Amino acid sequence: MIKFYDWLRGSGVYAVTVPPMDGALKPNDLLETASIATVAAQPDNLTPDGSRVLFSTGNTLMSLERMGEKWSAQSIASFAAAITCIGAEGRGGIAIGIDDGTVLLKGGKHDGLRIDKVADRPLVCPTACAFAGENTLILCLGSLTNPASRWKADLMERNETGSVWSIDLASGAATRLADRLAFPYGLQIAGPGRIVVTESWKHRVVEIVGGKVKELLADLPGYPARLARSGDGYWLSAFAPRSQMVEFVLRERKFCLGMMANIDAEYWMAPALISGRNHLEPLQGGAIRHLGVLKPWSPTRSYGLLVELDAAFKPLRSLHSRAGGRHHGITSGIEFDGAILATSKGGDAVLALPRQS
Amino acid sequence: MSIGENLIRLRYRLIPDQIIGELLSKSWIDTCIPASLLAVTVVVFAAIAPDFLSLDNLSDTGRQLGELGFIAIGLTVVLMAGGIDLSVGSIYGLCNFATLEAFQGLGLPLWLTFLISLGLGGLVGTINGLLIGYLRLRAFLTTLVTLIIVRAIVQTAALTFGEAMTGVAPDRSAWDFVGDGTIAGIPFSLVALAILAVAGHLFLTRSRLGWHVQAVGGSRRSALNAGIPVRRTVFLSYVISGLCCAVAGFLYAARLTNAGPEVGNGTEIMALTAAVLGGISLGGGRGSVSKVLLGTTVVLLITNSLVAMGLRSGGTSFILGLVLLLAVVIDVRWTKNRQKILARVYISPTYFSLPPCPSTAKDSGSVFAANDALTSAEPIGLNAVDGAEDVIFDSQGHLYTGSRQGDVIRFLAPDYAKSEIFAHIGGHPLGMAIDAQDTINVCVSGMGLYAVDQKREVRKLSDQTNRSLFSIRDDSRIRFADDVDIAPDGRMYFSEATVRFDIYEWASDGLELRGNGRIIAYDPRTDTSRTVLSNLIFPNGICVSHDGRSLLFAETWACRISRYWLEGPQAGKVEIITENLPGYPDNINRASDGNYWIALLGMRTPVLDYSLKMPGFRKRMAQRVAFDEWIYPNLNTGMIVKISDSGEVIQSLWDSTGEKHPMITSMREHAGNLYIGGIFNNRIGRLPLPNADPAWTGPRSYWGGR
Repeated sequence: MIKFYDWLRGSGVYAVTVPPMDGALKPNDLLETASIATVAAQPDNLTPDGSRVLFSTGNTLMSLERMGEKWSAQSIASFAAAITCIGAEGRGGIAIGIDDGTVLLKGGKHDGLRIDKVADRPLVCPTACAFAGENTLILCLGSLTNPASRWKADLMERNETGSVWSIDLASGAATRLADRLAFPYGLQIAGPGRIVVTESWKHRVVEIVGGKVKELLADLPGYPARLARSGDGYWLSAFAPRSQMVEFVLRERKFCLGMMANIDAEYWMAPALISGRNHLEPLQGGAIRHLGVLKPWSPTRSYGLLVELDAAFKPLRSLHSRAGGRHHGITSGIEFDGAILATSKGGDAVLALPRQS
Repeated sequence: MSIGENLIRLRYRLIPDQIIGELLSKSWIDTCIPASLLAVTVVVFAAIAPDFLSLDNLSDTGRQLGELGFIAIGLTVVLMAGGIDLSVGSIYGLCNFATLEAFQGLGLPLWLTFLISLGLGGLVGTINGLLIGYLRLRAFLTTLVTLIIVRAIVQTAALTFGEAMTGVAPDRSAWDFVGDGTIAGIPFSLVALAILAVAGHLFLTRSRLGWHVQAVGGSRRSALNAGIPVRRTVFLSYVISGLCCAVAGFLYAARLTNAGPEVGNGTEIMALTAAVLGGISLGGGRGSVSKVLLGTTVVLLITNSLVAMGLRSGGTSFILGLVLLLAVVIDVRWTKNRQKILARVYISPTYFSLPPCPSTAKDSGSVFAANDALTSAEPIGLNAVDGAEDVIFDSQGHLYTGSRQGDVIRFLAPDYAKSEIFAHIGGHPLGMAIDAQDTINVCVSGMGLYAVDQKREVRKLSDQTNRSLFSIRDDSRIRFADDVDIAPDGRMYFSEATVRFDIYEWASDGLELRGNGRIIAYDPRTDTSRTVLSNLIFPNGICVSHDGRSLLFAETWACRISRYWLEGPQAGKVEIITENLPGYPDNINRASDGNYWIALLGMRTPVLDYSLKMPGFRKRMAQRVAFDEWIYPNLNTGMIVKISDSGEVIQSLWDSTGEKHPMITSMREHAGNLYIGGIFNNRIGRLPLPNADPAWTGPRSYWGGR
């Protein structure tokens, strides 16, 4: 009955409103004006590994090192498909998720191990991994059906088929920690036995407690990606903004499915890593260029957002690249050697800012 | 096309959804609530009440209607002025008693009795008016006090003089006629009411004081600021109410000759229920005589039927109270939400389908392949223009354009570095056409077709056309004149993009995709306008062909160009010459090589094209999603195409990034250059055309060399 009333009025779960960017999320141009550490095509997965930072560009694993004021990037290895996640053990061991549905281990104790199944379930969409000790790998699978590169389809299909696993690298035994998550994308081991993941399609950060999820931070105005340490707190990156129109399309199932069947994903009315580059992309009324200017508050399908959270996962401050900007699609952000690094997957750049900015 | 899609198309073709919104936007729609209420009451009580439809019953109800109607109309005047009069019942009782006392007790003639009654009613009304209008006491409390005091007077008088009323009256026959007589079978009191109703209607809608009453009730502060004597108006409304009650009391006395002190008890509740049920807003300002009469009829039917059904008088009051409560709720909610409902239902998208969009990829080899030819255009009036929808040149080579502030701006030849305000019109100038005398004929948004001559005199040419036959809303006014061109015989053809929306709501029309636009011909010889083509899908650019025998026009949302034959064997016929453009065509103008330039204001996007087949989706989008979030055409890309006389696309010029020329609304070739205008852009672009005839200008092409 209440559901029917909500449906009639467009309230409750039928509401298409999105939370405002306010308070700690008040917009600024810090990401837009940030300096570029290195240019790379679709960079992703910043992971500190000792004195260097690992990141990926397409199917190449790269390392980034600081040279005074500058940064230098080197290619380490290449893989059969795009890299979807990186986990560093800290003493040489690296786990790399590949878009063809495998996780490879390089260096360390389990060098050469290849995982393509967990508990007889094919590993379609590895989205995040982290070592909990030398022999245990925590792994997030975003979806049962869509590889990570088809995240947009997974969102528009409204899937909730993600899961989190703990894998014993020595025996190969896998334990399911949580299931039916809406695209777990970021993973952080917040303490001994404390596993925190971002649930992208539900715009929230949750902790996994005994197979269930406990909400730590909800109602984000964007789709959260990865989570990294920042002193006591965390850096949370959001790779795309939520918008009223997308929320509406998500609820219009017939239109949404028809759109997915008939139109290239690039041109869907859906969130994107970067937008406004092609005349076939959908445009929203508020995003019309007036007198040569695209207003930064205009509705947009892509955005750059990196949020600093405190130890209790409450937002402290945020860095933005707003509508019409270049540094959109922030998929990862970390703190390293007194600097903040972030990958703008839409803007093809690794960004660097001083820590206190 | 699937069966489902065919069904959708059929459903939207057969059911004209837009009618609901258009009906709701009519002011008489308010009356529908009491009218339907009346219908329901009649049906219900005809079914359950005994003898409901008998002649006796109806005649009796008619007489009561005469009396209560007077009171309710008086009360309506007070309510519409923003007040309330609770003392109507006791004034009614007072006048009833006074009439009987004067006529039967004192034996005065009937006319004098009537005057005494009027005088007494007017006196109480005057007291109310003085206290509330001039001393500005609260209407509710003040009239409550007069209600009590007057009722006390009536009771005292009834006890004191009640027995002295058995005297013989001088002219009995006239008295009986007032009480029981009929005129052509209609009770006298009902005839009197009919006369008052007509007078009251004329008073409220046609007289100065009536307008003042509505203005004061609508907004007291605004009325005061507008110089309306608010206090006097309020005062007079109570006097009118008192006088109306006096007549009602006189009629009642003649009908029943009942001098009891209880006459008029609870009448104020009946009258108030009647008024509110009829839709007279308690907040003031809104209402009409017809509505209150509907309400009165409903109330009387209910009370009489309840009495006939044997309900005790307490029960009748109880039900009447409930009805009043219901009416107040409806009144408050309706007044508050009417505009919201209208906004929700007004936009009514329909089914439309476009063929697959032609390829525009850079390497596609298609004539529409994206390029950046327009980015080399140099700017004119950079950051000085705002709203340059169209650009045009006179025979001296000066450039004219419009501005959002309502001016016609002139850039001076030859370098267009200097500009001046040529004339101020007041509305946003859109499409322009220049005649042999260098007079600029211009479509002005919200105003119509105007002319500005070289003496800078602004003259209105046309702001209305013939009303179409079956339109619910009056579409004779021109709201959205868009582009104009002049035929060789001097007649001006101009497009009106949509008759359902104003210019700032153009996107709503794009969402509807209904044929809401038309082309109108203005004949300067007779100074009249006539619609020549209607039901066009956002007709926009218009251009008389090089040979002057036909007219090309663009239908923006339909992405097509059509030809309308002005003369020859096909005169009056329309044929589509270019279909399925990759963008939305705006203005059309002549090119020096005998072809035509067409500005595309935006590009088609796959998502928007797909949504055209799903009108339900677009309607819900309009209702649920904020205006600024709607899916629009991609207006951040600019494109100009050239078509031949037969409609074949020859060339396309792009600014694919939209950095310099997004949303191109017009272009005009002049002396070897192409000048580019955009309604939202901050510049006019000048692009040299290498192969164009440098001697060719618009005025020469239209009016010959000089």
